[in-house]
Amino acid sequence: MLEKETELHKKFWEIYSKQDIKKIKEFQTYMDKFAVNFNLYKDGNFIERSLPFDVIPRIISKQEFNKIEKGLQQRVHALNLFLEDLYSDAKIVKEGIIPQEFVEQASGYLKEFKGFSPSKKIRTHINGIDLVKDTVNDEWVILEDNLRVPSGSSYPLSIRDTYRKIYPDFFEQLKIEPIKEYPSFIANAMDYVNCGGINVVLTPGRFNSAYYEHSYLAEKMNAQLVRSHELVVKDKKLYFKNYNGKLIRVGSVYRRLDDDFIDPTFFNPQSLIGVPGIVEAYLAGNVALMNAIGNGVADDKGIYYFVPKMIQYYLGEEPILKNAPTYLPYFTKDKEYIFNNIEKLVIKDVAEAGGYGVLFGHTMTKIQLDDLKKIIEAEPRRFIAQELIEFYDEQCYLNQELVARKADFRAYVVMGEDIKVWQCGLTRYALEEGNYLVNSSQGGGFKDTWVMEL
Amino acid sequence: MGQIITANVATSLYWLGRYIERIEKTLYQVIKAYDKVIDVDKDAGVKLYESFGVDLKYDSALEFLNVALTGEHSSNMLTLSGFARENAIISRNHLNNSSFGEIIALNALFQNTTKTHVLIDYKIIDDAQSLISEIWGEFAKREHKQNNDYFVKLGKLVEEVDFYFRFHEEDEYSETIVAEIHTILDILSGESISKTSQLQKQSGTSSDTMSAIYKKIDTIIIE
Repeated sequence: MLEKETELHKKFWEIYSKQDIKKIKEFQTYMDKFAVNFNLYKDGNFIERSLPFDVIPRIISKQEFNKIEKGLQQRVHALNLFLEDLYSDAKIVKEGIIPQEFVEQASGYLKEFKGFSPSKKIRTHINGIDLVKDTVNDEWVILEDNLRVPSGSSYPLSIRDTYRKIYPDFFEQLKIEPIKEYPSFIANAMDYVNCGGINVVLTPGRFNSAYYEHSYLAEKMNAQLVRSHELVVKDKKLYFKNYNGKLIRVGSVYRRLDDDFIDPTFFNPQSLIGVPGIVEAYLAGNVALMNAIGNGVADDKGIYYFVPKMIQYYLGEEPILKNAPTYLPYFTKDKEYIFNNIEKLVIKDVAEAGGYGVLFGHTMTKIQLDDLKKIIEAEPRRFIAQELIEFYDEQCYLNQELVARKADFRAYVVMGEDIKVWQCGLTRYALEEGNYLVNSSQGGGFKDTWVMEL
Repeated sequence: MGQIITANVATSLYWLGRYIERIEKTLYQVIKAYDKVIDVDKDAGVKLYESFGVDLKYDSALEFLNVALTGEHSSNMLTLSGFARENAIISRNHLNNSSFGEIIALNALFQNTTKTHVLIDYKIIDDAQSLISEIWGEFAKREHKQNNDYFVKLGKLVEEVDFYFRFHEEDEYSETIVAEIHTILDILSGESISKTSQLQKQSGTSSDTMSAIYKKIDTIIIE
């Protein structure tokens, strides 16, 4: 189902009708030329592939986006306060808002970091919040918070750059919010929490799926792109190894690898992509890590359930943006509801990400559903259940025709001295009709998002 | 503080300069040989590729172009441009968008040629040369020279002098290139010009000259 056409859409289609559609080919050429890739490993082989994209942008009115912006600022503010509280006094647990057991069983909760507060008490520096627009209530709902290493921001930056080159008419004639400043949001946040030294982007390397993004952002942020062995820790301080052998102090790291891999001396000893000793430097307050270690607990799919309560608890406000209706089998009442309605719910494994571990009750057989109930009964903390949200489709120009495809929206929120919401985001669409999974790792494509006003 | 750059990126920029220059110089030699193969010396292409350590076989001028540029040997254009592309990807955050894009396009040009299996003609050389000119142009137009540009320039000049020694006798021109290389090496190492002169005087044959250059590069880029 498509969203009701607005004046903004009409203006877009009016200009679109005057464009040379053949120029879409040039779009592909540009995107290929700048190697806008999302790489994959298939059967153990590294495949360099360009991320599928669509030229029809998602259009969000400035007025509508203002509400999203306020809601996201509120949410990220509360999530940061939650993490800071959890790793210090844990008042929210002591006061019974969130069950202690629930926190402790979250795989992203790292009790070793209890008592440590990072630079400027900021933990949620770069956040990717996934939303969809519900067709029933015609409102945006939050599906997921990504507070560890959210990716994808370079793709809208690249497609916008290409759009302006190929079809400048839209930008001349419409009032579309500019988006180029996003890398400076991150750079400013890095400067704000910097503990003395240069800023670096830590990448797992050339063969990571998002390497394109790592190098793109490093260039735009004027930060150094480094692999683990190009950093070294001495006397609890982190240094960058310059080409001539000189060591240069590092004050802030935008790390593009998970907690488990960041330091083989602290986490997974098998990690070849981490920096030995970086956690020690971090705990000594000598380097800022973006995002903070231990954030995984806050983007745990189970903890998501409690975010509205966090907003009420820490900010004394009602949530501006709603969660999707969610049930926790951990609570008996919720479990009963889930078991009675499982065929119409979406069941998610809290430990999975990227569209993996998502089961749609309506596509499963009775035997499969019964098996699932047994697994949920045995491991209630491992799952959440959500009402299936019928979210809007977006128009996509695929295979030379306009078609409707399910699309979500990842908004980017950067927290430094203040909380900034990027006036754009990653709209991801499913390649097949009726598919609800839009993730890039599930083969989904992306399109630009225009925040516009008349 | 000067330019901050990892040894890996410095090495990639250096090799990027070398591969782009190698492609350009090879194309130049191929053009010369192609002209001779047509009606002057049928074996001109064979002799050229002998100097690259490649045994080339062809029956006509067009076939020479095909096997020279896309044949299965280590000096074909797909391989060389593929190496350039890989180094550009690694050092991408030190390249501007245009030069990066032209390098990707150069590789795509040879990829498409190889994929389509259409007999190639002289046009591909023209197209490749245009792209290479654009790549060098992008590097040349930067207003303030930074070390990353010097690494690319260093690679370009080292490749140039290597080609020069391979195809010419030593002469004043090669000395000029070598002097320029040492000037860049001095800038990158922060040494005074007097040391450069000493180094140059120590150099004797072309092979000694190249060894001295490589040795100096090894002391500048420390892995």
